[in-house]
Amino acid sequence: MYYLDLLVIGLVWGCTYAMMALGLTLVYGLLRILHVAQATVFTLGAYAGLLVANGTGSLALAFAAAIGAACLAGVVIYRWVYEPVLDKPPFVPLVASIGLLIAMEDGFRLVFGPYGLSFTNNPWFATMLGVAGIQINLVQAVLVITAVLSIGVLAWVASSTRLGVGLRATVTDPAMAESFGVNRVQVRTATFLVASALAGVSGLLVGMLNNLVEPGMGGLIAYKGLAIIVLGGLGSVSGTLLASILFGLIESFGTVMLDQVMDRDAVAFLFMLLMLLVRPQGLLGKAR
Amino acid sequence: MKTLFTRRLLIATAALACLGGQAQAQNIRIGFQAPLTGPAASDGKTALQGAQLAVEQINAAGGIKGRPLELVVLDDQTQPAQAVPIANKFIGDGIKAVISGSYSGPTRAAAGVFQEAKIPYISAYAIHPDIVRAGNYVFRTSFMGEVQGRAAAKLIADIMKKKRVTMVNVNNDFGQALSAGMKDAAPKLGLQLVSEYNFGMGDRQFGSIVASVKKDDPEVVYVSGYFFNGGPLVAQLRAGGVTAPIVGTEGFDTVNFVQIAKEAAEGVIITTSLDRDTTDPVMKKFIDDYKKRFNVGAEMVAASTHTAVNVLAEAIKKVGIDDTAKLRDAIAATKNMPSAAGTITFNNSREVYKAAQIQVIKGGEFKRFAVIDDPVLLAPPNY
Amino acid sequence: MDYYLSVATFAALHIILAVGLNLVMGFCGQVSLGHAAFYGIGAYASALLSVAGWSFPVAMLGGMLAAGALGIVTGLAALRFREDFLAIATMAIGFIFVGTARKLSWLGGEMGISKIPSPLSKHEYAWLAMAAALVLILFSLHVRRSWMGRAFSGVAQDEVQAQTIGIDIAGYKIAAFFLGTASAGFAGGLYAHMTQLIVPDAFGFVVSISILAMVVVGGVGSTLGVATGAVVLTLMPEVFRIINDYKLLVYGGLLLGVMMFSPQGLAGLLAQARAALRPRQEGV
Repeated sequence: MYYLDLLVIGLVWGCTYAMMALGLTLVYGLLRILHVAQATVFTLGAYAGLLVANGTGSLALAFAAAIGAACLAGVVIYRWVYEPVLDKPPFVPLVASIGLLIAMEDGFRLVFGPYGLSFTNNPWFATMLGVAGIQINLVQAVLVITAVLSIGVLAWVASSTRLGVGLRATVTDPAMAESFGVNRVQVRTATFLVASALAGVSGLLVGMLNNLVEPGMGGLIAYKGLAIIVLGGLGSVSGTLLASILFGLIESFGTVMLDQVMDRDAVAFLFMLLMLLVRPQGLLGKAR
Repeated sequence: MKTLFTRRLLIATAALACLGGQAQAQNIRIGFQAPLTGPAASDGKTALQGAQLAVEQINAAGGIKGRPLELVVLDDQTQPAQAVPIANKFIGDGIKAVISGSYSGPTRAAAGVFQEAKIPYISAYAIHPDIVRAGNYVFRTSFMGEVQGRAAAKLIADIMKKKRVTMVNVNNDFGQALSAGMKDAAPKLGLQLVSEYNFGMGDRQFGSIVASVKKDDPEVVYVSGYFFNGGPLVAQLRAGGVTAPIVGTEGFDTVNFVQIAKEAAEGVIITTSLDRDTTDPVMKKFIDDYKKRFNVGAEMVAASTHTAVNVLAEAIKKVGIDDTAKLRDAIAATKNMPSAAGTITFNNSREVYKAAQIQVIKGGEFKRFAVIDDPVLLAPPNY
Repeated sequence: MDYYLSVATFAALHIILAVGLNLVMGFCGQVSLGHAAFYGIGAYASALLSVAGWSFPVAMLGGMLAAGALGIVTGLAALRFREDFLAIATMAIGFIFVGTARKLSWLGGEMGISKIPSPLSKHEYAWLAMAAALVLILFSLHVRRSWMGRAFSGVAQDEVQAQTIGIDIAGYKIAAFFLGTASAGFAGGLYAHMTQLIVPDAFGFVVSISILAMVVVGGVGSTLGVATGAVVLTLMPEVFRIINDYKLLVYGGLLLGVMMFSPQGLAGLLAQARAALRPRQEGV
């Protein structure tokens, strides 16, 4: 029972990470940029969702607000921060992204206060589901379902729609893709919209799960997200998914088993590092 | 005409400037170290408010012998590495006494600096033992961590009459000091510490720990942590099916805890130094005044800094602020001073003995549950 | 006086850290997001040695070697990784270091190591730090101008090309890592003995980013630029205490701004200014 509990927790965490990491891997695959500022989008989605939820009492509107705010932020970040520096050495967009993250975290603190905000009404938070003898929270269930749905939808889009095909072509060979009429800007904007929507939704869900939205909530998840996409194999969506689940499981079991030796974040990163030493291209990445 | 006017203007400005300068010289400046940014920013804000209220009240009553009290605030970002340079800044700016409204890490780092410079330093609520051991210029107006842990042990053993306890600690100075106290007193009081789990200050998801606590099935869960950990943790424990009573610490003594944990906060018992149902006039006045001034319920952190400012102000009233050695002695001689956080008497090791206020959350509000007044068990160390 | 001395000493320490990181990043094109871990290892190793009774020089050497050893290991790992991987890998090292130091009791756990003996006076620390910073700067400039530096830049520009000319990339990468990290270890040792108290949080990811900021603002690859960046970013919070409440906002904004408008940092601005002036002079 206990181990089953830990397993379920690990899977839930894995799905949370997956939603963040998917966005990161999409952006990396397209632009070779480590989109650290994804954390800002995540947190913004959470704040937007919480404010609308507390203001209108409607969860549906809250989700709409979260996605809307996140998408807007994501596209703005692409247009104003990344696009101008695409031709610079790789550390430039990375450091710019980090700078943006640090500034925005402080910005959230200044605007919304350091205490963190809670939901006045959080019905999902209080609802428990019994699944195979395990108790899980409704928010956790929604997280898993949303993650699975998102992946499914993305997979379908990637294989069956013009946009998806265009994206894959642009990733493989941008020049060729353009000569075939794929609009580069459209593809990029679409990528950021999708990545940001995922981040915004997961931000709101995590906020509901903790019943707490704080200025710094995105940071660590973003850093772990980066570790996950590296572990999975940069640019590989399936690798990212596998790595996300693994990360969640490692953290879940590692927290109680390696408790005396290192803390939770360290366990996950150590695992990543060891895996990379053995397989530098990541789990499912292409060997160089 | 113009030149006469300009000259008059200049003289007037100069006079005002002199007066302004004189006003500055009139103020009694005390330093206040607070984590205004960083992970403890929420407590830092509350701490500052408590101190500000104290200063406003003192000044409204005529200041210290007619001179207004002024708080000089510096932000240590909750980082020990930052605490040292700002300690040096206080000293360089001619500040003669400093209060720490910050956590144990930064307070401990700064204590050594102030001790060496012979500047009296009062820790308002940081609980690590080593802080006061930095030397005889360092004081603490709140419980030591270990003492609070012992109080919790007595609460669980003698008042709640339970035996099997699981501890869940935040792994930093705060959590470690509290668990040390619990571990020390537990065997003497017949408690069995079934298991112990740790989490980091930044953790909000405790799934594995909840699963482990369920497996261990203790009679009581003792949680040390801050409201931003405790809130989610308590909610997740209840959601996970853990029905055992939960005992928390002063880190939970804030409205935010209840806001986050919602229904799960019902029935949570905490050890703290603020009694909402107090009949003590000074404590009651603080609770009412704080509510009026800041429109939010009073919290332990604010009460602690309010107390520290008052202890310092009383000492300054007696001997002035110019001779720091005399000031130190005056502070050390504080005896039976009533304050927002309890009665203050320093022992030879500059620690205080206070009764432990045990509060319970009922209907979303903190209410009195018990008071543990045990000078033997809760004696601060004397070395 | 004490306050200014303390600021000057920290500025010197930051110069050592920034120039060391520059050796790793600027010369070899490798991005390191975990430099604070080497700072921390130096601090912890030297603190443990001192507390155990060893003399100050031994403790300092121990700190340098411990940091340098991990640096070599990281360098070896860097051989297997490319740029983006290394950024994450070094970030991971940083988190692992802090996460482990927090838990293991012989490392002091969350409370860290306190009561570290302090053999020097405040003035002596300042002089030692400044002297070390100067030595490192001179060394770094020399390396840049020497054949080793040319090899470094070669490695940064194009690894394949460098390999064809027969430059032993592996050796130089390792050397760069060792130099950069051992100097961080030295700075850590000084820090530990100066403040007499070290806690895991003093060496976390935020600190790594601060050091990175100094390198980036100064100009990656330029020794003097980086040293200037270190001094500016150390003094900035001290000078602008008014903006203290907005400090991180300003900091992050600065990083963002520099990347957007002058990725080569201060050194880049200076070079641009020089280039703008030169044609006029030649005309005369």
